[in-house]
Amino acid sequence: MARWIPDEAGEEAGLLEALGIPSVDSLFADVPKKARIGRLGIAAGLEEPEVVAHIDKILERNRPLSKFSNFLGGRISSRYVPAAVDSILQRSEFYTSYTPYQPEASQGMLRTLFEFQSLWVELTGLDAANASLYDGATASGEAMLLCRRLHEGHRFLVPASLPWEEKSVLRNYAVGPGLTVEEIPFDPRTGNLDLEFVRTAVRSHDVFGLLADVPNGFGHVDEGLWDLKGLLGDVPLVVSADPLALTVLEPPGNYGADVVVGEGQGFGIAPSYGGPLLGLFACRREHLRLTPGRIVGATVDADGAPAYSLTLQTREQHIRRSRATSNICTNQGLMAVAFVVYASVVGPRGLAALQVALAEKARTLASALGGIEGVQAPRFEAPYLGEFTIELSHTSEETFLDRLRRRRILGGVPLHDPRPGTPAAPARILVAATDTATEKDIQKYARAARAAAAGGSA
Amino acid sequence: MTFRQARWDEPAVWDLAPIAPPEPAPAVAGLPERMRRKERLRWPELSELQVLRHYTRLSQMNFGIETSPYALGSCTMKYNPRVSEVLARRKGAAELHPNQPESTVQGALEILWRLERLLAKVTGLPEISLQPGAGAHGEYAALLMVRAYFRDQGQLERRTEVLLPDTAHGTNPASAAMAGFTTREIASKEGCVDLEALKAAVNDRTACFMLTNPNTAGLFESQILEIAETVHGAGGMLYYDGANLNAILGITHPGRMGFDVAHLNLHKTFATPHGGGGPGAGVLAAGEALGPYLPIPRIVKNGRKFRLDYDRPKSIGKIKSAYGNFGLDLRAYAFAISHGEAGLQHVARRSVLNSNYLGHRLGKSLPRPFRTLVKHEFLLSGTPLKAHGVRTLDLAKRLLDEGVHAPTIYFPAIVDEAIMIELPETESRRDLDEFASAFEQAVNDTPENLHAAPQHLAVKRVDEVRAAREPILSWKDVRRRTPNHEKAGPVPSVP
Repeated sequence: MARWIPDEAGEEAGLLEALGIPSVDSLFADVPKKARIGRLGIAAGLEEPEVVAHIDKILERNRPLSKFSNFLGGRISSRYVPAAVDSILQRSEFYTSYTPYQPEASQGMLRTLFEFQSLWVELTGLDAANASLYDGATASGEAMLLCRRLHEGHRFLVPASLPWEEKSVLRNYAVGPGLTVEEIPFDPRTGNLDLEFVRTAVRSHDVFGLLADVPNGFGHVDEGLWDLKGLLGDVPLVVSADPLALTVLEPPGNYGADVVVGEGQGFGIAPSYGGPLLGLFACRREHLRLTPGRIVGATVDADGAPAYSLTLQTREQHIRRSRATSNICTNQGLMAVAFVVYASVVGPRGLAALQVALAEKARTLASALGGIEGVQAPRFEAPYLGEFTIELSHTSEETFLDRLRRRRILGGVPLHDPRPGTPAAPARILVAATDTATEKDIQKYARAARAAAAGGSA
Repeated sequence: MTFRQARWDEPAVWDLAPIAPPEPAPAVAGLPERMRRKERLRWPELSELQVLRHYTRLSQMNFGIETSPYALGSCTMKYNPRVSEVLARRKGAAELHPNQPESTVQGALEILWRLERLLAKVTGLPEISLQPGAGAHGEYAALLMVRAYFRDQGQLERRTEVLLPDTAHGTNPASAAMAGFTTREIASKEGCVDLEALKAAVNDRTACFMLTNPNTAGLFESQILEIAETVHGAGGMLYYDGANLNAILGITHPGRMGFDVAHLNLHKTFATPHGGGGPGAGVLAAGEALGPYLPIPRIVKNGRKFRLDYDRPKSIGKIKSAYGNFGLDLRAYAFAISHGEAGLQHVARRSVLNSNYLGHRLGKSLPRPFRTLVKHEFLLSGTPLKAHGVRTLDLAKRLLDEGVHAPTIYFPAIVDEAIMIELPETESRRDLDEFASAFEQAVNDTPENLHAAPQHLAVKRVDEVRAAREPILSWKDVRRRTPNHEKAGPVPSVP
């Protein structure tokens, strides 16, 4: 057993003596006998080397991304994390500290979060950002609830192409207030939002908000986003945006977004099988007091020197309780540190250059996969950055991806909802040009795809 | 002990290097003109060393568990084992994408499955989901499950009320409201649930009673079995807020106490780092009635193989992307198997011993509002200091000057000038005594000194009122308010 409890036997005796009691047992006299348990029924403790050996042995059953030609993307990225980022995350003053409720003891974290908020503001073109939410999907959920505070109605519009997981999360955030998450159909050729549908829906006066994502669930950039605010009028617009894409794309604040959310994991956070992630959230100044989550603000100390603290806390659960703007307490503070340190290490030119390089690689990938019998690549005729969707005509995405896996290729993210009973959908896969994929990997993918896309069993 | 925190005159990151004049962002072929970014992201170009020095200096102006004990009640700020940090960074853990085929992530699924089975034993509730992002998120998911259950029972129209004690964590009523319930607070009696008041409050409108045990006064709710009987008798569900689980590990568990559903905070009881506010990991544990409603996917073991099961027709669906915070689940698993059966019980015993010892000693300095047999934390009231014009807040700031983190203050609201102290099992007797001495010194210090505290940190007392009155929340705000900012020098000037 690890030495995490100080000098167990020796110290305990002294503490008991000071309390004038014979044994720790008497400190549990208030737990009724009928409520007690005997044993938990778990194994005895292990020493550190044993723990390491045990866990390493289990982890050997994983095959990490580096063992494959990797084309997995979507909301979660496997982009390289510079060593400098993790070295800052391992500063124990950051990773072991508590929420900075005591600002005088927490200026380091507060200032770093202030810089993080500033960066998301610069990327989105909005006025203010919070200090993080759990992940991109829950940030969308919170954005929807903010829209409902800003506008009457019951219908919240989202792209039909939004990843199924996010739709499911949104529907769970809609349960309490009894809202409906409704899907906007897409143009079958481009995958772009059906703006006529939006126009008609808004006329019903029952739409209280709309969320669009960029790149969208198919990986494409929908130019129609520019026209959404014009159609929506005073109905709030939420844009869910990829932070790296925003280094080359117009900030959504410039085309009328009232809220910009996103998944920040791609900035300095390892994929770690999907968590921890980082929910990004920015809004307009006038809506600040209705927003969820912690916010850091600049102020002064008793000497008038610059200082920082959490602010606008009267929105939050620990003060407002059942009337809070959200129940969120613990957020993703350390991941926000990773985000801002990553961007600062790579730098604004480096970030944009990275996105441009990935976009070029994606074009190479698309032309390598294009023309393969049974694969339409890209499936949609719309601009894209580092990802796009392919559609298979002779085989299911499971079969296709499994055949690729056997050749050590992770061919992409299947887009269907895996829940039984989901209506049948075309076999579509989101394919990402990752930073590790080389020209050789792309050619390997194309060769393997030729065989994998054929009908019948392999 | 003399304590001096680092005090760097460190500029903001954007003042470390001149910002390049606006230039268009590079073009991506095929992008329509109006979707292209016209001005490159405004952020400094820095060398790696500049970035490292900046954030290292900032980190030195922050407490952490390896610099200071955190006396924060209800937060369970214990040592975060270093070995867990090493393990979570293994290629076989960090370098996994959630959309990898199941056959390539068998180890990750095994860790999750093993942690689930372990937590099922710790909670006495058989069905586990690791999906929620933190405790409050787990509360919310659980209340959605309660809703779905009563919907299936045809009782949702009627069961619209969530009851909670007036000592409940703020997240409880906030989660209940978010899940569409009305909330009603039950007044406590001597720090515990007033059983008669509860009996009078439950009825056929009761969906759920949310309870923390030990509660936020640090007291074990000894009438827990009667409480469970009362809630169940009215057809309601009993919810366990696991924030304070540390005190009862291996002594009792939510299942034995009669709870139907629970959330745990892995970042408290299971020692995953708090990260300056997060990430956390909220675990859901449910009994037979609510188990089928847990989020999907569930992890299933067939022989030696693990798979993700989406075929749960009653499930509420997804509450978060992927499968939860795997990196934290792995750390929690390492913590749990290190301690094992006897170790986990020892965690509870030592944390309760620490708390009673410290409560006994500090009870001589300030009054203790309720009974003195406590669990993992205890309450003091700063009321007597008010006569000298001193508030609990002043005391908290004065403690920071001694290099120890202040307790939780002004919570729970039922105690005037509440001070809630928890120093968990990883704090030694020496640390407890040093904390106690610092506390006694602070209580006996002059009002002038207390009002002027802190003196030894990176900043003096921070003006939080001003921060809220005219919010300055980003660099953009700084620029807006000080047009000459670029010339004004390194420190962001606040008017």
